[in-house]
Amino acid sequence: MNQNTQLTGEWKTDERPVPKPRKRKRLDSEGRWGILLISPYLIHLIVFVAFTSIASLYISFTDYDMLNPPEWTGLANYSKMIDDPLFWKALKNTLYFTILLVPIKTALALVLAVALNQKLKGLKLYRIAHFIPVISSWTVIAYVADSIFNPRFGWANSLLVSLGLEPKNWLADEQLVIPVLVAVAIWKGVGYMMVLFLAGLQNVPGDLYEAAEIDGAGPLQKFWRITVPLISGTTFLVLILSTISSFQSFEQIYVMTAGAVDGVAGGPNNASLVLMLHLYREGFTFFHMGYASAIAWVLFLILFVFTFMQMRLQKRWVHYD
Amino acid sequence: MSIRKILAYAAIGISSAIMFIPFLTALFNSLKTVGQFNKYPPELFPDPIKWSNYSEVWELANFSTYTLNSLTVSVLSILGAILSSSMVAYAFARLQFPFRDTLFMIVLGTMMIPGVVTIIPQFIIFKQLGMLDTLMPLWVLEWLGQPFGIFLMRQAFLGIPREYEEAAKIDGCNPFQIYWRVALPMCKPSLATLAIFTFMAKWNEILAPVIYITTREKYTLPVGILSLKGQWTGGNDQYLVAGALISLIPILIVFLIAEKYFVEGARSSGLK
Repeated sequence: MNQNTQLTGEWKTDERPVPKPRKRKRLDSEGRWGILLISPYLIHLIVFVAFTSIASLYISFTDYDMLNPPEWTGLANYSKMIDDPLFWKALKNTLYFTILLVPIKTALALVLAVALNQKLKGLKLYRIAHFIPVISSWTVIAYVADSIFNPRFGWANSLLVSLGLEPKNWLADEQLVIPVLVAVAIWKGVGYMMVLFLAGLQNVPGDLYEAAEIDGAGPLQKFWRITVPLISGTTFLVLILSTISSFQSFEQIYVMTAGAVDGVAGGPNNASLVLMLHLYREGFTFFHMGYASAIAWVLFLILFVFTFMQMRLQKRWVHYD
Repeated sequence: MSIRKILAYAAIGISSAIMFIPFLTALFNSLKTVGQFNKYPPELFPDPIKWSNYSEVWELANFSTYTLNSLTVSVLSILGAILSSSMVAYAFARLQFPFRDTLFMIVLGTMMIPGVVTIIPQFIIFKQLGMLDTLMPLWVLEWLGQPFGIFLMRQAFLGIPREYEEAAKIDGCNPFQIYWRVALPMCKPSLATLAIFTFMAKWNEILAPVIYITTREKYTLPVGILSLKGQWTGGNDQYLVAGALISLIPILIVFLIAEKYFVEGARSSGLK
């Protein structure tokens, strides 16, 4: 069983022949043990997944401040959202952040993985270097990034000044805040994605490249004609997972933009307000639980439609063999 | 050496430097005196090297409390993840029970579904249970099995030969005993991966403590360090950097010792 078939969504199966459906009404001993052993997860599923999902859908149709009982208001929260300029700003910022982040990070991760797959010496050392940002909390990353992007003592401005350019305000600049956040997110996350691609690459059979070389293919041709199609399963998965997670970005923006200008995360002037941050403010700062739940459902639906469409579209570009 | 290899070395070398240099500049900053930190233009190397920034920030900022809270959350989460996810996974791997395959599809499905819709009702549930402003919401769900852990451990159980379990069954062990005494000890590498991944997630978590904890004494490290930023104004940047780097040390040590499990965990998480 290699990594690649797992990546395509096939997993190991129980090899035993499936017993014919038993007509006994009572559970046999094995069945009872099975239910008993999975019972923690059943509780998780029923209380913390099924119940919470239904509850949040219900709350999204109510006015609920957690002190008084929820009051049914129908679609009021959703129509409020349509008229809420901050919601639209947050949606726009989230899209901008995601569209900038996901393709660049994916491309860089792929290039690095291909480079790392050339049987280089010191592979472990390179992997460690690329994984240190991955294992760091966003708090650590925020202070480390501060040594580069702080307008006062950061090295980015020293570099600009030494080149005779104007220093920038970076995270305190409405135009620059999202690009800087994206740069830092790439820096933190590219190593993780690189490892995923590396696993995919190790399953590409070497004889394919040899055959292509005999046919006179150059390195670029080999990359586009062999590597890219053969790891498209990994690419598909990586794109979906990283889109879902960057659409729900919260920690990075909460940590890195707090106090950048006015002490309120999402600044300056809401230029880095993303949907999760809007949800957090509405829910946990103002206790507008109904409205926050409505935002959660809209976010969920966007991601659901995106994932569903990708699943349908994957046949066009994802090669499984 | 071929041109291809030289290019590969160049790409990886430059990228490794970009990965590492910001940590180095942050480390240098954490060793500066207040006076040197505020010099303009900034100087790269600390002069003199003020190691005591680390001990001073530890004292000034209640770091032992934050560290203890982080450790509590991490250890209880790891225990919960190891025990419950592996038990659930064993049933999915080896036992026949009604709706087993449907339920497992749901496990896989919940890994793909964004968690955003459950945040608010979970908060309400924990409020009803009287767990707000305690550490419990940060670890208790790990004891009810997590999809990633279940998936990872199920793969591990399916990979071990059946004969040992058959033998134990003939000796009269019940399924729990077989799981606990025979199957689980054979899956130590996957358990290590699960433990390390849980540690990384919990040690670094920010969203849950931000939502659930209001009392300063109950903050975990990443949130505690953040709160200092608002509390201390100006002239303390070197302490904040030192504090942040202190919080990196435990996970960095675990990572350097058990690098292969981190990589394994990263791969498995991509399989979902």
